[in-house]
Amino acid sequence: MAGTIAADVLMDGAGNSTAMDNAIYGSAKAWVNFNAISGSSCVIRTSYNVSSVTYNSTGSYTINFTNAFVDANYSWFTTTSADFGSDWLFANINTTTSSATEAVPTTTSATMQLYGRGSTTHNSKYVNAVFFR
Amino acid sequence: MSQVIIHANSNGGVSVTVPTGELPINEVLAKDCPAGAIIVDDSTLPQGADSSFFDAWELSGSTISVNFTKAQAIKLAQYNAAAVAEAQKRQLNTLAGIANDVADADFTAKLQADRAAIAAATTTAQLVAI
Repeated sequence: MAGTIAADVLMDGAGNSTAMDNAIYGSAKAWVNFNAISGSSCVIRTSYNVSSVTYNSTGSYTINFTNAFVDANYSWFTTTSADFGSDWLFANINTTTSSATEAVPTTTSATMQLYGRGSTTHNSKYVNAVFFR
Repeated sequence: MSQVIIHANSNGGVSVTVPTGELPINEVLAKDCPAGAIIVDDSTLPQGADSSFFDAWELSGSTISVNFTKAQAIKLAQYNAAAVAEAQKRQLNTLAGIANDVADADFTAKLQADRAAIAAATTTAQLVAI
């Protein structure tokens, strides 16, 4: 089915409304939830506008988009669980296999890395990334 | 049986691309992977304990093997980095008069177990004490 609805405001039956810009710019344009410690590679639980996840090295993942962004100036954030039984983790965007190396985001993919104490890289059971533009 | 895409990467290791299912795998191969990448059944990837040494995987043709010399060096480096960081934190705690917490004790127990496992396969002179 094809078609276009052109409107400046969205309103529900109770009279609550929001500007169309909120729906357009406030909606995530891509997201993915995956398990990176299941067997030999990632297991993707759910996703939207993500064609694949590339497992580069321990704790390093590239998220590839199904439909490219209009430019690479999207805003994105990531979350991760701990490496259970091993270490707390934090997620870095736009880093590749080394904390000293920038992985420049592109319209078609973005790369992230998970770190524990001592700047050691880890995989994680629950990894999430969300993209807005 | 699921299929994934593998290719050698610039670190001398192997990258594994896992499709989400939004596109056919052939489209993912063409769109998301470099030339030379190949589609394989995920059952052909190293399994079990060997899967823990992902950074030591090496690709020859369509066959992945584990370089155990590289795996040992990676594990040793990970242990030493974690042990040094924990030791530094404890020193700071001591200087600040802060008691080490339960998480420190758990982490230390894990490091000690790692150290014992690695010591069985290498020389203890290479290991930072914890």
